[in-house]
Parts: sequence; C-alpha cells; structure tokens
Amino acid sequence: MTTQLEHPWQAALDKVKTWARVNSPWAIHFNTGSCNGCDIEIVATLTPRYDLERFGVKLQGSPRHADLLICTGPVTRQARDRLIRVYEQMPDPKFVVAVGSCAISGGAFRGCYNVVGHIDKVIPVHAYIPGCPPRPEAIIDGVVKLLGSLQPPAAKN
Amino acid sequence: MTTSVQTGTPTDPALGRAETILARWAPVASRPEPNRLDVPVPAEDVAQAAQALGRERWGYLAAITGLDHGPEADRLEALYHFCSGAAVLTLRALLPRHGGTVPSVAETFPLAMFFERELSEMFGVTVAGTPDPSRLFLPDDWPTGVYPLLKDVNPQAALAAQSETAPPRLQGKSDGDRFIVPIGPQHPALKEPGHFAFEVDGEVVKGASVRLGYVHRGIEKACEGQTWVQNLYLLERVCGICSHTHATCYALGVERLAGVEAPPRAQAIRVILGCLERIHSHLLWLGVAAHEAGFETLFMYSWRDRETIMDLLEQLSGNRVNYSCNVLGGVKFDISAEQAQAIRRALDFVEERTRHYLEVVSTDTLFLGRTQGIGVLSRQEAEYLGTVGPTARASGVPIDIRVTHPYAAYRAFPAEMVLDTAGDLTARFVVRMKEVFESGRVIRSILDNLPAGDLTVKMPRRIKPAETISRYEAPRGEVFYFLRSNGSDTPERVHIRTPSLCNWTSVLTKAVGAQLADVPLLLAGMDPCFSCNDRTVVITRPRRDPQVLSWEALRSAARQDRRR
Amino acid sequence: MTIPPIIHLLFFPGGLFMLALALAYEYVDRKVVARFQNRIGPRWFQPAADVLKLLIKEEVTPNVTHPVLFVALPVLALAGSLTAALSVPILGLNPALSFPGDLIVTVYLLSLVTMSMGLAGWNTNNRFSLIGATRSLTQVFCYEAPFMLALLGPAVVTGSWRITEILQTLDGQWIVFSQPIGFLVAVVGLMGKLEMPPFDAPKAKTEIVAGAMTEYSGRGLGLFHLGKIVEEVVGLSLLAALYLGGVSNPLAFFGKTLALLVVMAACHCLFTRLRIDQTVGVWWRYGTVLVLLQWIAVILWRVMTA
Repeated sequence: MTTQLEHPWQAALDKVKTWARVNSPWAIHFNTGSCNGCDIEIVATLTPRYDLERFGVKLQGSPRHADLLICTGPVTRQARDRLIRVYEQMPDPKFVVAVGSCAISGGAFRGCYNVVGHIDKVIPVHAYIPGCPPRPEAIIDGVVKLLGSLQPPAAKN
Repeated sequence: MTTSVQTGTPTDPALGRAETILARWAPVASRPEPNRLDVPVPAEDVAQAAQALGRERWGYLAAITGLDHGPEADRLEALYHFCSGAAVLTLRALLPRHGGTVPSVAETFPLAMFFERELSEMFGVTVAGTPDPSRLFLPDDWPTGVYPLLKDVNPQAALAAQSETAPPRLQGKSDGDRFIVPIGPQHPALKEPGHFAFEVDGEVVKGASVRLGYVHRGIEKACEGQTWVQNLYLLERVCGICSHTHATCYALGVERLAGVEAPPRAQAIRVILGCLERIHSHLLWLGVAAHEAGFETLFMYSWRDRETIMDLLEQLSGNRVNYSCNVLGGVKFDISAEQAQAIRRALDFVEERTRHYLEVVSTDTLFLGRTQGIGVLSRQEAEYLGTVGPTARASGVPIDIRVTHPYAAYRAFPAEMVLDTAGDLTARFVVRMKEVFESGRVIRSILDNLPAGDLTVKMPRRIKPAETISRYEAPRGEVFYFLRSNGSDTPERVHIRTPSLCNWTSVLTKAVGAQLADVPLLLAGMDPCFSCNDRTVVITRPRRDPQVLSWEALRSAARQDRRR
Repeated sequence: MTIPPIIHLLFFPGGLFMLALALAYEYVDRKVVARFQNRIGPRWFQPAADVLKLLIKEEVTPNVTHPVLFVALPVLALAGSLTAALSVPILGLNPALSFPGDLIVTVYLLSLVTMSMGLAGWNTNNRFSLIGATRSLTQVFCYEAPFMLALLGPAVVTGSWRITEILQTLDGQWIVFSQPIGFLVAVVGLMGKLEMPPFDAPKAKTEIVAGAMTEYSGRGLGLFHLGKIVEEVVGLSLLAALYLGGVSNPLAFFGKTLALLVVMAACHCLFTRLRIDQTVGVWWRYGTVLVLLQWIAVILWRVMTA
C-alpha cells in the first residue's frame, strides 16, 4: 500500500526536475576544427535577432557549469582528446548537439588526413543539426527539439 | 611608365631591380608571367639571396611553398615568394626528395619562422638554423617521418598503421609551475580552438607562443586528389567568414592558368560580393573585439546590424555563409535591378550605423582607455614582421592588394587604401570601420555601372601545365595562393598562405613586454582566424615560471590584478 | 501580532521569501539588460529554473585541499547573506533582528558571500580559480571600505549605528540630496562588491571559465548563486532605506529598489568592462577620498549647526 502513496510524490518530483532541466539548458561551445561558419551562426543565436536566452540557454565558460555541449567541426586529430576531456568534465545529465555537416559526417573534409571524422565517433551525440552552415533558426530549432525530447511522454491517464 | 592606380604598381622596374640585386643568379632567371620573376638558386645560397633582398628592402616574404615533383622526377623544390607591390619574385631552391637541407632566412624575415616549420613538417626538409623546429600544424601525436605533402605518402595509411596501438590520451601535464589547460576556447565570440602560452613575470609578459593546428584538416593534400571544380567547393570552406575570398582567389588563379578571363560582369559581381563580405567580416570583428573588451552592448548592436548584410547575402546567393557565387570561369548568379536597390538600401542603413560605431570607438572614454596607446606597432616594425591587412594599414604600411595589384573588377572600379598612423588598437578599430565605408563606396560605383554581358566563360576541364600565383585582399589581409597544374583535371599543387599567419608574429611580439591585462584585446585586434590559419606559431623562450593558458583562461587571467 | 522568530527566519521576511525576492530581482536585472541590448531576454521563471537545475545536477567534487570546506563554503555564503537580510527592512517591515551596531554587522555579512567564494577558489586546486579568487578578494576589499564609509554617512548624520534608529531619526528624509557623493560611492561600491559589470573584472561574467567558480558545479554553484543574488537584494534595500528616504511601505520598497536596480543595469550596458587595475587602483584611492570628504562635510555641518 505504501508504494501506491509514494508514486504521486515521485511523479511530481520528476516532473519538477525535468521542468528545471528543460528550461535551463546551460551550454558550452566547442570547435573541433570547423571552418568557423557554424560557429559564427551559433554566436549569432545570442544576438538580438535570434536571442537564445529566451530559451534559457546561457553560454558558459567552464564545462563544469554546462548541460549542453554544442559541437562543430570534423574533429581534427589535435582536437580529439580535448573534446573527450571537455565531455568528461561536464557533470550529468549532459547532452551533445552536433552542429553542421562536418560534425555529422565529416562534411567537405571527409577523408582528409588530419580529420577523425564525425563527432559521434568520439563522444555520444544526442542531436544533429545539418547544414553548411545551418541557419541560426535551425540551430535554435534543433536545441528546442532536443529539449522537447527530454520531456516525458504525455501521461495517458 | 607612370604609376596608375588602374593597373597597379608597375612591375618592370621592381623586377629589374630584383635582377640587379640577385645578379649572381640572374642569368638563369625567367619571367613566367609579366609580373613574376623566377630565380633558381642553389639551396645553400637561399639565405644569402634573402639577405641581399632584405638589405635592399625589396618587398616582403609572402610565402614559402614546398613543391614535390614526384618520385619519378626525384626532385623537391622550395619556393620563396617575395612580393613588392604587384611584382612577385620567387627563389627556387632545388632539393633532394629526402634529407634535403636549406638554410633559414628567419633572421632577415622573421615571418619565415612559420613558413619554414610548415615546409619541414610537410615535406621533410631540414631548415638549418631555424629558431623553432617544432611542429606547426600537425598534431602532437603525428607519427614522425610521415610527411603528408610528399606525393608518394598516403597519410591515412600511415595513420592507420600507427593506430594499432591506441593513441596516447591527453594527460594533464603539471611540471612545477607549468599548468596546461587542455580546453579549447569556449568563448561565445571566439569560436576557434587555439592554445596560447604566455610566460609571465608578475604581470608582464616575457614570452608568448600559440599552438595552432587544431583546425588543420589536410586541405592542401585533399586538393591534389580532387578535380579543379571539386576543389572550389572544398576551398570555400577553408574559412566560413572569408569563404568568398578563398573561392575567388582560387578561381582567379585557375582561370589564369587556363589562360581564360572571366567576363567583366562576373568580375564585377565577384567584387560586389567580396566587398559585402568585407563589411560583414568587419562588423563581426567589431562585435567580437567589443566582447573582448567587455562591451556587450556594442557586440549585440553590431551583430544585429550585421544581420542586414547577411540577409542581403542570402537574397543574392541563397545562403548566409558560404555564398558559393563562383564557378571556374565566372559566377553562378546575376544581380537584378531589385536586388541592386536592396543592396543600396542595406548599405545606407549599415553605413549610418557604422558612423555611430566609428564615433563610439574613437570617442568613448572608457573604450579608449582599453585601446588607445596599446599594442603600438610602428611602421618599421610592421614591415619587418611582415604584417598584412588592416593591422598593417593601421600602422601606416601601404599594403592592400586591391590597390597595389588589382584583381577582378578592381581595375575598372579602383579601391582606395585606408591608412592610419597611430598603430595602436584604436587605429585598428578606426581603419576597419572606415573600410566599411570604402567597401560601400566601391559597391555603389559598381552597381551604378554594372557591365553588361555573360556571367561565365568556357573553361577547359584539363589545364595545361603552368604555375601561377593568385593574391587577394581578404578582410584580414593578403591571401596568397600558389597553383600548379600538370595537364590533367586535378591540380599538381595548391598552396594557401593566409593573412592571420603573418599577423601572429607582430601581435605576439607586441605581447612580450606588454601587460597581461591587455593581451586578449591585442589578440582580438589582429582579427585572428585560426581556421584560415592551420598553422602553429611559437615565439616563446620559455624560462622559469611559464603559464600555459587556454584562450578563455587567458582572457580571464588578463583581468587579474596586474600588480601581483 | 508578533510573528514567531522561527517564521521570520525561515519564511517571511527572511528565508524562503528572500530567496523568492532575490530570484525575482535577478529576473528584472536580466530582463532590463536584455531590453537595453535590444533582445527579448529570459522568461519570468528563468532564474528559478536555473537555480533548481543547479541544485539537482550532479556535483563533481574535484581534487580539493579541504573537502569539508568545499561543501561548507556555499552554505556559509548563503547563510551569510540571508542573515544579513534579517537586519534590513525588507518590504518596509521592521527588521526581525535589530541591535546597536547592526549596520556594521550587516555590511560585513554581505561580504561573507564574496569571501566564501574567494576561499572556495583557493580551496580547489585549480590555478585559475586561485587567480580568480585572489583578484575577487582584492576587488571586494577595495570596494568594501568606501562602501562601508558611504553607508556610515547617514549613521553620522543621525548619530546611531542601528538601522532601525537611523530610519526613525531620518523619518523619510532623502539623504541622497545632502550627501550625493556618498550615495554615488555607495552605488559604485555595491556594484563592485557584487562584481557587476563594468566592475566584473575578476569574473567577467560566467562565460569566462577562470575565476573562483571554475570547478564548482551542481549544488555548490547553485548555493553560491543564491547567496549572490540575495546579497544584491539586501544591498539594494540598504541603499534605498538609508539614502532614498526609507522604505516605509511595500510600494516604496519596490519602487526605490527596482529603480536603483534599473540604474545599475543601465550602467552594466553602457560601459565597457574596466581592467582590474583600473577598477582596483583608481577606486581604492578616489573612492575613499571622496567619501572621506563627504564625511568631513557632514561632520562640519553637524558641528556648526549643533
């Protein structure tokens, strides 16, 4: 009988936790060797026309403060270990967003000798935003979709 | 021959003078193109020849290209390109494919330090007496003895063989006072990985270095395996901010190799897009630099206004970044009358906003407190260190490829150089803002007189064997392309030398002796573009108590108390 | 009706109420800054979501010198600022805790937040948090002295060290007109203590990794953040109460403190960040000199009119 009573508390608490996580995704950005196109569009999302702060996304400096790792670039060999290290420094729960064709498949640099390839060869990725580069709106859309997917499925009561 | 701005600086007198200076080797010199002089010199004489040129102050060292003629020919050439105005002089040193040695020219031309490192790590050439023999672009865990740009080397195979053993994981190194933070810059406005090392003594910087190569992707090698047309799309993505620069510079060079000239309307459209790119790049830089200074509001406002240009670029080309307007032989799209009107309206708006920004950067007291008198680079220093672009022009160096060596439509629609004499950070801000006006003026003059005609001209698929040098004024400075064709539909060699590489020396030299607090803005002031770069630069002379900082750590450390 | 002290402490006007008020003020601050920068800005529940998320996030304990300190310091910071709130007339109500000299104690408690952050930075064995910590402490000391002296201006005029007595004696008088320099010094001092731009040289906003908070995550970061924003509200209340004619009712309280907040947010947007040597070197000398001049003027006035 006691298990029945715990359920409402548990469910409510989980809802609150998810709400907080979904509405306050602090991000850091890491460029693993991209041409900068995607990075400029990511920076543009902070600017008045797109304003990512509306969604609660704040760009942090330290991986320890972040929930979201926004990654660009085809992962050059020099950057690979740094990427892993940054990912490991982030506390849970954490999510990775791969922005741009290079991050998804290597893009134009697929096969180049100093390029490892796509980001999910190195760290797990939760959202892919294609484009070369993707527009700021596309980046925001991708981040919002990722946040939306974190919501629990609607209760079918 | 009188100097006329339409044709650029006259090259015959300059080349004649060069022949006189290099009289010892002049008999074997040749003129592959009207503005170029090739002088083969024995490898051991390279330093002497460079010294002679340096003594007579003939031009500056633009690039050092390695050229592998392949295992059958069994020769390697090291090409030293010197530029004076529109004239380009190339010293050609013949070397064996393995184990060749060439003396360093870094004493006369400090910039050579980087070029030589690239030469040695890509081709296996030993440069005797170079101040710094360490890696430039290649990563730390690159197998020794594998020189990627040699024709018979397959880097992927070599790497696959090496990764039988797992590559070493990065260890946090801690050696006494050495502390290495292996995080790339997570700064909202500077999006490129780079690793800075500043040796500090109290608050004064004693030595400076930067480890690049984080964005080195191996593009030059990839170019050799793809067709001329495919490379156009690859080279557009060398850098997202100056994508049109690379594409146009390459296209102009390839057209010259093929002996073909794109129609005037196409050249005009290329210039219009180039000027728009310059405007957007300078506004971008203004926001970034303002952010470095902690002036968030200026960052937000300038990027908001920059959106007008991005909309325009999208309207013209279909994409905000990587506009891809070039084809080999011309451009892909036209500019209609409505689009021309839209361009004019957008320029009106942007110019009005830029007037405001110019006022802010030159009169805001607190801002001037962060920029005036800081990082002063005199004209002599700038020339000696090989600085290019607005950073050089802010010190009074009259270097601007659009003026001294006009390309595309700049012969018909000349640009004017924007110069300043102060040489400090404020001057760099002012020069870039004024260049926005100048670019706007050029765009308007072209729109008012847009030449009629075709957009493309037929280009052969195979390009007869030839060499050429293509130079272009990117928003950051001179971009230098060396192209060589071999009669097939793939290039023999594509060598890219980007402006940021030239500017590192000057900035890092200025950082030495400066206050640590001023360093971030100094670095931002040169408008660094790592992805254009792909090059590593070390100037440091590390002694005791070095601090190795990542970019954002540097920025924060720079805000620390200068009085320890 | 006397409210039991425990309710004062935990719920109203201390404790939970202060936290809620602090979150609301953070929202106003961020929204005003965003609007100045031509952006839309965060949603009204954003600060609450941020803090909640931090509290439930995994906390990574780095290699620290003293693990106990690592956990205790954030709690100390929040406790310090909440305790300071007890002596300040929030919402125009009488402070729960009032004793002679509570002005000084309150100001010291306000500094506890930044000092805990500094100590926390030293504690984590990260070179950059150490540097950030040292600079942070340097700045807070440089701004503390003029700030304290400026707040004591009204104390000198009314002849008491007790906040409630000062307010009673002043009885709605706007000291800002008779001691404008003191007010200016107090506002700048508060901005410096809070490390608000343009005085955010030690931390340069949370985007910059280095600084005392580099290695903190999750709960610790959340508690420090709460301590900071409560400090902001308490500081604003003090300034409004002492200089802007007291806060006798909730309307006056909100009006005056929010007006001050908007002014500070405007300063945030209008100026470029000052270098640490500019923030510290200049202010330590001129700020103190200015406020001492103000004091001399006030004392002379009292002597002459006594």
